[in-house]
Amino acid sequence: MQRREFFKKLGFVAAAAAVVPSVSFAAEAAAPKGPNEFSFEEALKAITGSKGAAASDKIKLKVPEIAENGAVVPVTVEVDSPMSAEDYVKTIHIFATKNNNTRCIAAHLTPANGKAMLSTRIKLGTTQDVATVVELSNGTFLMAKQNVKVTIGGCG
Amino acid sequence: MSKVKSLVKIKPKTYKSGDIVKVDFVAMHPMETGMRKDKTTNRFVPADYINSVKFIYNNETITTMNVWESLSTNPAISISMKIADAGDLKVVFTDNGGSVNEKSIKITPKG
Repeated sequence: MQRREFFKKLGFVAAAAAVVPSVSFAAEAAAPKGPNEFSFEEALKAITGSKGAAASDKIKLKVPEIAENGAVVPVTVEVDSPMSAEDYVKTIHIFATKNNNTRCIAAHLTPANGKAMLSTRIKLGTTQDVATVVELSNGTFLMAKQNVKVTIGGCG
Repeated sequence: MSKVKSLVKIKPKTYKSGDIVKVDFVAMHPMETGMRKDKTTNRFVPADYINSVKFIYNNETITTMNVWESLSTNPAISISMKIADAGDLKVVFTDNGGSVNEKSIKITPKG
């Protein structure tokens, strides 16, 4: 009787041991997904509708070719625009095309800015294109891209 | 509601009405993506990042921004601004936890 009891208890413990770790692994393994898990192509389509964005030399995209530190990569976007009430840059978007969340920032400007300029610092997890999509007040979209080599990834 | 320190600076320091200046904004914020594992606890550090910034010049909102967690820790953002009247520039920013913080500076054009 005692032996049977012992083996029953052992079986129970073994079964419990088999179940518990797998539950905790499931909770730990899945990285939480952010609300903006778009690929760059999907984000581009969502922003421009069917219009797409044309590459343009009106955009000056300043980003280093090699990032010394992937955690702090300076990006500056300047757009040649009069920023008048009739003709101004409505939005400057910046994307890190291979980050888990490609969206970095979307700045909605007005003529009161005087100049279409946005400067910030972003994290890059790996070597990738940094892209900017610009929406003009006339409803058209422009875009520019530059590849940044990242030696030490910036996402921890 | 967590208080977040921030700085707003105008460059150059001296300007006249009609000038276009640079506005530098920096906030002391970790900008956690939610995908970084704390090596001591082996758990993901929850996402904690500034998600919007608004620039209000003399009660007129001149620029709004959506910000995501890909911005670096202690995010620094710069824009241009056309100086008009004297008054103030207020920067209001929120994070994904719902905290709202703001910083105001005086706009004092010389002439």
